[in-house]
Amino acid sequence: MSGASDESRSLRKFLRHKPAMISFVVILAYVAVAAAVILGDLVSVEDCERRYGPKSTPGFGVSQLFEKRLQDLSWYAEQIEQKLALRQKLKRRLQSRGVEPTNEKIEQELRGLRIGNLRPADISAEDFQIRLDSLWNTVAELDEFDDLNNPGSDTTTIERLTSAAEGQMRSLYAEQTPAEARHRNLHLLFGTDVAGRSVFLRSIYSIRVAILVGVVTGFISVAIGSLLGLAAGYFGGWVDGVVTWLYSTFASIPNIVMLMVLAYMFRGGEIDAWLNDLTGDRFGWLIGGTLDETLIPVFVAFSATFWIGPCRVIRGETLKLRESEYVQASQVMGYSRVRILLRHILPNISHLMLINFSLLFIGAIKSEVILSFLGIGVQSGASWGLMIDAARDEVLNDFFWQIGAATALMFGLVLAFNILSDALQDILDPKHV
Amino acid sequence: MWAYVLRRFFYNIPVFMGIVLLVMLALRVRDPVNGLLGKVKTEQEIAAKRMELGLDKPFVQQYGIFLKKLCTLDFDEESWVNRGQTVGEVMQRCVGPSLALTVPSLVLTTLISVAIALMSAWYRGRWLDKALVISAVLGMSVSFLVYIVFGQYYAAAWLPDQIGMSPFAVSGYEPLEKDGIGTYVLKHWPYYCLLPVLISVIVAMGYDTRFYRAVMVEESGRDYITTARAKGASQPKVMFVHMLKNAMIPIITRVVITIPFLITGSFLLEVYFAIPGMGKQLLTAVVEADFPIVQAFTAVFAAIYIASNLLTDVLYAVVDPRVRLS
Amino acid sequence: MTVSTGNLIRPKSPETPSVALSVRNLSTSFRTDRGLVNAVSKVSFDLHRGESVGLVGESGCGKSVTSKSIMRLLPEHVTRYGAESQVQLDGENLLTYSERQMRALRGNRIAMIFQEPMTALNPVFTVGWQLDEALRYHTKLNRTQRKARVVELLDMVEIPNPDRRYYEYPHQLSGGMRQRVVIAMALACEPEILIADEPTTALDVTIQAQILRLMKNLQERTGTAILLITHDLGVVAQTCDRVVVMYAGQVVEQATVRELFHDPAHPYSRALLQSIPQSGKKQQGKRLATIDGIVPSLFDMPDACRFADRCDCRQDLCVTDLPPISEDDSGRSVRCHFPVSDSSSTRSEV
Repeated sequence: MSGASDESRSLRKFLRHKPAMISFVVILAYVAVAAAVILGDLVSVEDCERRYGPKSTPGFGVSQLFEKRLQDLSWYAEQIEQKLALRQKLKRRLQSRGVEPTNEKIEQELRGLRIGNLRPADISAEDFQIRLDSLWNTVAELDEFDDLNNPGSDTTTIERLTSAAEGQMRSLYAEQTPAEARHRNLHLLFGTDVAGRSVFLRSIYSIRVAILVGVVTGFISVAIGSLLGLAAGYFGGWVDGVVTWLYSTFASIPNIVMLMVLAYMFRGGEIDAWLNDLTGDRFGWLIGGTLDETLIPVFVAFSATFWIGPCRVIRGETLKLRESEYVQASQVMGYSRVRILLRHILPNISHLMLINFSLLFIGAIKSEVILSFLGIGVQSGASWGLMIDAARDEVLNDFFWQIGAATALMFGLVLAFNILSDALQDILDPKHV
Repeated sequence: MWAYVLRRFFYNIPVFMGIVLLVMLALRVRDPVNGLLGKVKTEQEIAAKRMELGLDKPFVQQYGIFLKKLCTLDFDEESWVNRGQTVGEVMQRCVGPSLALTVPSLVLTTLISVAIALMSAWYRGRWLDKALVISAVLGMSVSFLVYIVFGQYYAAAWLPDQIGMSPFAVSGYEPLEKDGIGTYVLKHWPYYCLLPVLISVIVAMGYDTRFYRAVMVEESGRDYITTARAKGASQPKVMFVHMLKNAMIPIITRVVITIPFLITGSFLLEVYFAIPGMGKQLLTAVVEADFPIVQAFTAVFAAIYIASNLLTDVLYAVVDPRVRLS
Repeated sequence: MTVSTGNLIRPKSPETPSVALSVRNLSTSFRTDRGLVNAVSKVSFDLHRGESVGLVGESGCGKSVTSKSIMRLLPEHVTRYGAESQVQLDGENLLTYSERQMRALRGNRIAMIFQEPMTALNPVFTVGWQLDEALRYHTKLNRTQRKARVVELLDMVEIPNPDRRYYEYPHQLSGGMRQRVVIAMALACEPEILIADEPTTALDVTIQAQILRLMKNLQERTGTAILLITHDLGVVAQTCDRVVVMYAGQVVEQATVRELFHDPAHPYSRALLQSIPQSGKKQQGKRLATIDGIVPSLFDMPDACRFADRCDCRQDLCVTDLPPISEDDSGRSVRCHFPVSDSSSTRSEV
């Protein structure tokens, strides 16, 4: 029986367990980031989707390869050029409607251009054109070289030209304040993905998803599992029969098949419609948008499969406890069943609930990858699953920044939880194999 | 023992019926007819299709029909998407590739994990054991998908660069029937299946090694080990005879329990390596709302699961003289 | 019945020196996370041929570590033996033996019986197989000879239907039966030395008596020297010739059973004797004596007398200096600054 002294002993053991403490701190750090994303709007969905630069730039600043440098600076120049090109189209369109074309529209268009926090320089459209022309001249000179990646004796010339082109490219954009520059460096810390989105921001936003999925599914599954397990173990009889049947049934369908079928159910929008009918307007307000925009399908899919584990364990433990001497003594003393359940059995299975929560947390984070692949995972924003899945082609082109960032962050969290679960098991449930 | 097996069998009938019910209900949340017909369709066409597929009947009746088919092992229903093919034919086609992937990975994983666990237990508390335990936890903390992505990268991009040829395919499969068994075993299987098998072994190894090590450590602390050593048994004798036979009970349980997940467990691998196994087929069927395939496959998986649970109990009684099935 | 195949196993050496096993200055330490822990400190005693010696002390005093050190059954990579430590068998120090050399001795010349008959046997092998094992390792007998020997051993330890029991698994036997099997297993190769680590603790009293009687009989027949480890002085009184009393990893007193029970010299021995209930004496209304205080922690052993904290006759010297071992001509020794003299000791008769 775990009395108060037992609990404090466990706590002391835990505090002395160095790896567990470190893991705990790491997890807290992740949770803090997630909380900052959810409550403090540290990274928004829009930040995840916005372009921060050319596609597939490596992290920590610029690429060392001349070809990639050339591509990147050309991209920045083209952004300006595209906006300028709009002028011609606009001019023609306005003229066709018989309206006098003004430069204001284009200027407006250009001012509105944002690449991360990068703005175009505060110059006229004509000046842009001049600077662009000289830039393209430099680029044309560079194009003379056959193989930029293996320049041989021409290295210094190419280096000079590339730097010059980069300087000319920078002149197209407004000067950045040091704070802005720092911000931008941070955004490009892990480079960009294939759509030019910031890998850093996306992987940070993913922490929110991971923690949310872990906490919610862990909590729901443990709650359902414990409730059914307790009822089955304690009341026995037909309750036990039903619960056993229920978990045998759910356990007999392979996990992944169940996820697939659930994915199918959610994909059509019928459930959305049905829920909306059922709840009227209140539904949208409750979850903020359609099912696709939230993580609700993920929670449902995981909870439907994850509750079996805790249910089985807790049913077994409750059965054992019910036969134990002190519970039987309480029965003899005439305590009510509810009191026995709450006072004697619940405290003695709480450690199992904790351990199971920790295990399910890991399971949820790791399964999120599979869900993303099945298409019922995260739909908007980012998740590690989406990032790893998206990185498959990048890896074949020797670009490891996206998969690296997602894997590293996920690895940190899962490892911390693995160590924590082990420690919890050692301390709270030492008999377990 | 047979009485026990029979009783367990009967006990599992409601479980099996529950599974079928659950899957059929879940599938019918959405109306598949719209998707099955082309873009242009009339009300009459929809109604006709519905009638043809038997979806117009009340659910209870549909459920009854399918259960009856299962009882009579009738897998002759036609696939809704691949017209002209029966469920049985589709299943037959997919079993081979699935087994080619799953059986080798189960055998390899178990052998390697048990060997490593034994090594770990042998050097218990010393640096090798600690290193193995740490690598198992590290390995467990990396996503399955990352292993696949890097596996494909090394085999398809890095390795060919190094040795000038590509020993592994990134995707695809050649069935056994195509060139006979010799070519299959020597050429096709290693080319298409070895890499996914290796990946799944690496993924599963962390979990299995940890489990088996825990079992071994538990066993190595038992009194009978000391008794055996006091009799003059050598360390290998103690480990491979005394300990391993006791550890066989949890090992067998774990292996048999994994069997049903074998077919679906390699699901991600099948999809990423484009191997036309049961997992891949099932995913396609779910996406295309091919109800007969989904229902039949799920029922078969569930039956395998239930059968392997039963097998575990029986094997238990075979290995452990203390266990009596009654 | 006599051990008919006994001479097949190993010819006994003709000259038999009287000391079978000699433990000298045995110190055993374990490497732990919190540093080196000394579990046994400078333990010395002799075991003579055909003799039974009781190794007595409360749990955690180092009895079992001592016995496992003799057998070298402790996990080697965390165990350290002191530099002067010696376990002598035929003049050779077992502590310097290789694992291979040790293996040849274990179960052959030195055998061991364990406390828990329930778990000491391997549950997945038959009784016969497990009895056969030691014979396989240490003798050149063939399969049929071994089978005969095993059946004979089972018969020797008074197990009925040995032919049938041969094929049974441990779980089919009762606790007493299993302990008989364990004893038979230890005696399979006719060891010179038998270490019995609490062989009867897990059994109920009637079975206990049977097992002890059996061991005594077998010893008379085979001439094996027995080191009996126990916390039960009653068992010692029944079976042993001499007693070694251990406290907190040290030997505090060595004496014959008679001397110890009639005239304990160490305050701890005396306190131990007073704490056993005695039947047949007028003791109603008298409380059983207990020893107050606790054993010092292994991590924090005093450099003085380790029993000083709990001793009734403690004096200043006791808490400052480690008492030397004083030994008289008869081999009786005591580790105490102020041994209890004959007159002051409370006589207790058994």
